Amino acid sequence: MTALEAVSVYLPQTRVPIESLAGPLGLTDMQVKLFRRFHGLREVGRDPDASAYDLLMKAAAGLDALRGREHRVRYVLYARTMPVAGPYPVNPLHEVCRALGLGHALAFTVTHQSCASGLLAIDMAGRLLAADEAGPSDGQGAPLALILSGEKAFTREAQVFADTTVFGEGAAACLVSAFGARDRMLAYASSVRGDFDSDTGANDARLQREYRPSLAEVMRRALDEAGLTLDDIRVVLPHNVNLVTWQRMCVLLEFPRDRVVLDNIATSGHVFCADMFANYRTACERGLLQPGDRYLAAAVGAGGGATFAAMVFEH
Amino acid sequence: MTAQEAGLDGEFRQQVLDTMTTVLARLLDRSEPVTEDMRLAEELGLSSTFGLELLLEVEDQLMILIDVEVMDADQMKTVGDLATFVAGHSRPG
Repeated sequence: MTALEAVSVYLPQTRVPIESLAGPLGLTDMQVKLFRRFHGLREVGRDPDASAYDLLMKAAAGLDALRGREHRVRYVLYARTMPVAGPYPVNPLHEVCRALGLGHALAFTVTHQSCASGLLAIDMAGRLLAADEAGPSDGQGAPLALILSGEKAFTREAQVFADTTVFGEGAAACLVSAFGARDRMLAYASSVRGDFDSDTGANDARLQREYRPSLAEVMRRALDEAGLTLDDIRVVLPHNVNLVTWQRMCVLLEFPRDRVVLDNIATSGHVFCADMFANYRTACERGLLQPGDRYLAAAVGAGGGATFAAMVFEH
Repeated sequence: MTAQEAGLDGEFRQQVLDTMTTVLARLLDRSEPVTEDMRLAEELGLSSTFGLELLLEVEDQLMILIDVEVMDADQMKTVGDLATFVAGHSRPG
């Protein structure tokens, strides 16, 4: 069963107030007020001197569980919101692999599910590793996969999404095994909705209307698959799209707001595919998860259609 | 349910309603008046983003804070529903 062996997160110390982004991003006073008052977005992290490579390396630097086990890493998956993460021919993924001694691993990017690509990467990594473990052993020990996420907010599109969210810089590194004992994945459900795709924004209103019910549906489906109900869930690890979306999700799901880890929205913003990992670390640091607790991670990737995804774990 | 039945201050609810209809007409660029019984999504085409902008303007104009975190957006069918919610779930800002 897919398991998270270790999770490391890097969030920059430098925080930029939402107001200071108004000029460069062309935000109106009303948009800034909306972000602050209802979306709960006060500031975002920025590391102006760091490249995408630097961000990923800073996250990987905290992954002690990787040290001495590099030879066991067969796959490195870079879960990304944006299809393009830097100017050609820069490839932060392969640079990171070389720097970490993972040049032997099969490295590839998981994208096109936008901010839901992180959960997809966990599922893919587990499936690849499980298939390898079903084959003959290479005597190297159980194989591992490394998932990386985190991007530079380097274009307007990578800094703000309509009137919905503001992206913050940061990164996460997560070591995955096929049959580990800790943070075992119990179920994964997703819904890929190409019908929301539009060049003209013609489907935006419908996406807004169907956003919360669609996310609730995949969350319930993941719980069904795990043989659980929301009552069994200790905490929800959300994507950090904004506060009001999750407040309304809680009303819809009849789930207590204080059991959704919303801490990072105000200070970090929406850190691309790294939200789930950052919120996992926060939940652990706050002592919200005890051994045996079940928790649910949820994400929506919007842009070029929409993907709704949910994953249930046992800590 | 009337404002009285909901235990609301009818005068305040009317104030909220008046503010909302004026703001809505401007936000949606409507020349016809917006009335209490109009349906927010189907009739006025109000998106959740515009809905938040409406609430923000109502907060500013009436100097209140609305408890959006307890709002069941799916139950806010008409302009009147929203006015009743705001009148019952707000405090001086």
